[in-house]
Amino acid sequence: MLAHQMAMENPSMIRAEAVDAMEFPELSDQFSVQGVPQTVIDSGKGIVVGAAGEAQMLAEIKRALQN
Amino acid sequence: MEQLLNEQVAGQIKQAFAELANPVQLLFFGLKESCDYCGETQQMLTELSALDSRLHLSIHDLKEDAAVATQYRVDKVPAIVLASKNGDQVIDLGVQFSGIPAGYEFSTLINDIILASKQTTGLGAATREFLQTLTKPLHLQVFVTPT
Repeated sequence: MLAHQMAMENPSMIRAEAVDAMEFPELSDQFSVQGVPQTVIDSGKGIVVGAAGEAQMLAEIKRALQN
Repeated sequence: MEQLLNEQVAGQIKQAFAELANPVQLLFFGLKESCDYCGETQQMLTELSALDSRLHLSIHDLKEDAAVATQYRVDKVPAIVLASKNGDQVIDLGVQFSGIPAGYEFSTLINDIILASKQTTGLGAATREFLQTLTKPLHLQVFVTPT
């Protein structure tokens, strides 16, 4: 999983969690998850809907960190 | 209880684990009550860790081992934390699963274990450079369904 690979690159700064949307519906609702996969960056600073490639995910992370 | 990983699947995993290099630690967090998938997840991990001596499993309870859960930032169950192991030292890799890793997520777990063991991420140079220079914590939550 891309997010997990990213965490392994710098575990002291990055934490990546795969969340089963069905088992944790309250959390899914909190981030309006309607389809999977959906990546939530820093509790909603950024959201990536659908499977994203490395470049797209990186761009979204950079965008989210600027907010 | 019936085996969750049948002989064929176990064989395939063993084959995939042939490329493991360094020891990997899996930390399981469950809860005795009100946890639908804790038993199944724990059993799956027990069967999985029995397939290769480089794979280590520790079992924790979210309530009884609250300090360990806090250390690894686990707040829901079942949860799995992936770490690397160097002697007695367990090194958090920031990789976590919340919920049972069934179906496609099981493949994700297997792949994560292999990457962690080989201590490589397979990411491109530009991505790695950016991530390694992060100075603020970054939290990624990937919502999935185990189908």
